[in-house]
Amino acid sequence: MIQNFEINSQQIDKIKKITKEEKNFRIKNLELFKAAGFPNKRLEDWKFSDFKNIIDDNFDELDTSYASSSFNKIDLLTDFDHNYIFLVNGNLHSSDFKFEEKNKIKISSYDKSINYKESKNPLICLNHALADNGFFLEIEKNYKFKKVLVIYNFFTNNIKNKILNNKNKIKLNEDSEVHMIEYTINKSEFKFINNVYENIILEKNAKLKNLCVQAGQNDGFFHKFLKNKLSFNSEYTNLIFSSGAKFNKLDIECDLIEEKCKCNILSALFLNKKEHQEIKTRINHLAQNCNSYQRVKNVLKSDSKGIFQGKIYVRDIAQKTDAYQLSKALLLDSDAEFNSKPELEIYADDVKCSHGSTSGSIDEESLHYLMTRGLDRENSTKLLIKGFLSDVVDFIKNPSIKRFIENRLEEQVNGY
Amino acid sequence: MLEIKNLSVSINQKSILKGLNLSIKSGEVHAIMGPNGSGKSTLANVLSGKNGYNVSGVLNYNGEDLKEIPVEERAQKGIFLAFQYPLEIPGVNTNNFLKTSLNSVRKAKGEKELDTLSFLKLVKEKSSELGIDEKILSRQLNVGFSGGEKKKNEILQMKILDPRFSILDETDSGLDIDALKIIAKGVNSSRSSKKSFLVITHYQRLLDYIKPDFVHVLSDGKIVKTGCSELAEELEKTGYKKLN
Repeated sequence: MIQNFEINSQQIDKIKKITKEEKNFRIKNLELFKAAGFPNKRLEDWKFSDFKNIIDDNFDELDTSYASSSFNKIDLLTDFDHNYIFLVNGNLHSSDFKFEEKNKIKISSYDKSINYKESKNPLICLNHALADNGFFLEIEKNYKFKKVLVIYNFFTNNIKNKILNNKNKIKLNEDSEVHMIEYTINKSEFKFINNVYENIILEKNAKLKNLCVQAGQNDGFFHKFLKNKLSFNSEYTNLIFSSGAKFNKLDIECDLIEEKCKCNILSALFLNKKEHQEIKTRINHLAQNCNSYQRVKNVLKSDSKGIFQGKIYVRDIAQKTDAYQLSKALLLDSDAEFNSKPELEIYADDVKCSHGSTSGSIDEESLHYLMTRGLDRENSTKLLIKGFLSDVVDFIKNPSIKRFIENRLEEQVNGY
Repeated sequence: MLEIKNLSVSINQKSILKGLNLSIKSGEVHAIMGPNGSGKSTLANVLSGKNGYNVSGVLNYNGEDLKEIPVEERAQKGIFLAFQYPLEIPGVNTNNFLKTSLNSVRKAKGEKELDTLSFLKLVKEKSSELGIDEKILSRQLNVGFSGGEKKKNEILQMKILDPRFSILDETDSGLDIDALKIIAKGVNSSRSSKKSFLVITHYQRLLDYIKPDFVHVLSDGKIVKTGCSELAEELEKTGYKKLN
């Protein structure tokens, strides 16, 4: 149970170089957060993830002061050539675009603009009030990344009980392309909360492919709200392999504002003991001829909990929309839980929208078949688990990146 | 090799095998025929170690009580079941799976595990021996396979795992004549004094290609008649009704 948790508005005073307008915006959001408190299951968007309750169970105190970003050197990935952005406790620490034309890429500390809509999500209000770091990446017109960009999201050991609020922005100008891997490395032995607001803007014909993955299991509590805006013929793909955190809620809102946009959200998760992971999406089809594809696969072991809340909204003018949504869960233990809430809200009459959700346990017949070939129950089960998740992994076309993700999944499953 | 005495098997209180006796020696090929529902597949499942059956009686395999041996160890000790309905396992590459199972069988036998290259060489050899397109092995296990491909895949698995005792559960059902010949070739090319087969079938046709040493008729949970391969021909003419 959290005792004496109070955020003082003096904390906002500590933020440097702040305009009066920005300060007012922050104070207003702080008031909104204070009025609402941490979100609980009474809020529809949080009905399966009672954040207040989870925080109370896991923290005795919370600290919103900023964390320093000193750290010892970490080993970079050697699995494939890559550029990188290095974040320490959410703070932009350094970057290296050695495979790229540097004048085509702008990277800076977070974007200070305050053009954000008021939110009903208390964690977003908290972020608007206190976030004072993050990164802003912008890619010039016509520039296509030659190598993948890894965002090392590194957490140090001195962030016990902290709530880290970060704000990121990624903007791809016309005809630009990037393939990113968001790789979270957590060296904290203590529990902490990371609360991120990320804004992604894809201009005409731009393509962004993102892959998120955690290095190992950890005691982090993550909430991330992604606000994406897609213009004509742009394509956004997010492949989520973020198993390992104690709590992770990814809330993705995608506005397809012009024709021929594509939005793909796929996930393959293996959740273990006490892990809680929610993917919530809202795909807003606001123009005609757009395409969205969602495929969520969860394997749940022990008392883990997986949630998928997926909403497809189709505006009246968004004719010829093609929207697909599927969630599947494989439950390995009777204590494991999967909740799925598909929602379709359609105001156009010439659209193709489908949704489906299934959950079940390991098929004993399949298991028997594999075992009659000499594999023991454990290895047969692992094989079925990997098979279950493989169609999402197969979306990765680059062989070395695919192997890297397969190895991470293998580590997760072998912990089984 | 296999000694079955007074085997009784029930599932959900329903009695299926009712005191079955069967003895299979090394090097022998036995065929079991019988009407639908007589317990043929149950016998195959029980020998493979499938859960859910209530089993009593003697099941002796090379001096060991088979009832005490878990499914995967039966496979490691050389028992192979070619399934009547091979299962489709999405996302599992046939080659990878087969390599893992072959190596677990080899490991149990105290043999050296095969690396990928030697495994692929073995696959190529066995598939060309049978005239099977090895490409089916680079696909997901049985997913989208035709009925014939599934059965051929079972026989190819049998050839690769090289078991001592193979059970073929209606492997010939639904096959065209060419596929049937492949299945028969798979068995005939493996026949030796150290290996035994139990072939479960409805039709005498398969037995034109695989000459069994013994033919048994299973009816209502018991073997009611045993003979040589002529018995199959007789059954083809007269049916099972006369036996009852």
